[in-house]
Amino acid sequence: MPQDTDDEDEDYELGIVEEYMGEYGSISSIVREALPFELMATIGGVASGVILSGMTSELALIPGLIVITPAVLGMRGNISCTLGSRLGSAIHMGLITKIDRNPELLNNVSGSLLLSLIMSFILGIIGHLITIGLGLQSAGMYTLTLIAVLAGVSSGIILSVVAVLLALGMFRFGFDPDNVVTPAIATIGDIVSMFMLFMSAKVVLLI
Amino acid sequence: MSYYTVKGIVGRGFPILFVTSVIGIFSGQILNFEIERLVSMPLILVLIPALIKIGGDTGSMLGARLSSSFHMGLGTHIRKNPVVRNSVLAALIVGLSACIFVGLVVWVLGEVMGIGMPFTTLMTLSLGAGSFELLAVFSATITIAFASHRFGVDPDDTVIPLIATLGDLIGVSGIFITMHILNLI
Repeated sequence: MPQDTDDEDEDYELGIVEEYMGEYGSISSIVREALPFELMATIGGVASGVILSGMTSELALIPGLIVITPAVLGMRGNISCTLGSRLGSAIHMGLITKIDRNPELLNNVSGSLLLSLIMSFILGIIGHLITIGLGLQSAGMYTLTLIAVLAGVSSGIILSVVAVLLALGMFRFGFDPDNVVTPAIATIGDIVSMFMLFMSAKVVLLI
Repeated sequence: MSYYTVKGIVGRGFPILFVTSVIGIFSGQILNFEIERLVSMPLILVLIPALIKIGGDTGSMLGARLSSSFHMGLGTHIRKNPVVRNSVLAALIVGLSACIFVGLVVWVLGEVMGIGMPFTTLMTLSLGAGSFELLAVFSATITIAFASHRFGVDPDDTVIPLIATLGDLIGVSGIFITMHILNLI
């Protein structure tokens, strides 16, 4: 009977999984490793929240600013964390060893910055269009795109520098960059991009 | 010819970033609907970025663990699988501890900054919205991880950016649903 064999196979496979899982999969080991990083990331989140709560007058003066805020932060996190992760892989493969005019390093950083520029443009445009489409007030495509591009590119430059210095510095001192760079960038990324969003909104209001 | 090219990085990054940006704009729209009430309650603005991040963070960790266990050939069944069960329980413990931590930190900050709200309100809000978010994000993570494994897509490339963004959307919705239940708005 095919049904029985399937069940036996499944039981056999689960037996193997139980046997080999050991320390890798125990609940306490996962919690021990993940909780400190999560609490650190939470503090970063609260810090960016404090900046956001200081932006109430900008949020009121620029309708639509709140719409692009989660997307700018999310984009920043995605691009910078993948940069950090690629730098880690490049260091492990021996492609990057120090800061110089290495094409691998230059391409990694300029690729991330170009991606930030393109995505910020698109974010401003679709942010405006969706807001208008839902019948809500928007400060206009030009204003929102300018804020998104200023905030996206400036925080991109800062975080790229931090990611490169952190990855190579950790490598120099004998740490695995993969374990340090991504959580560190995720934590400071939110603070830097929220701050740059705040600054860009102030600059746009002055113009 | 170098291993990493600008074209390769932009080309691989663009599609997933486009999807996550559109989802991110919708999270922003939910905030936009309630913007006047939010501006009048600055402590909720302090709480939001941290609280919505927890779901994305713990969901990403869960997604990465599921994906690694698929790569190692450890897990192909959703039910009865100890890798899935332990990872979900651990992510839940980490997520709920972080929610309690956020509630505490934000309450202290509120007292310090002079924009305080009652402790029980903040704790109920962060635990209520947090539990809703964690359960919804984890269900989505398990579904996306198993689906991308089944259809032969590397879960590492798809699960994490999608979950981080979905975490924002579900988190923002969870906060407003809980605020409605608590009669805050």
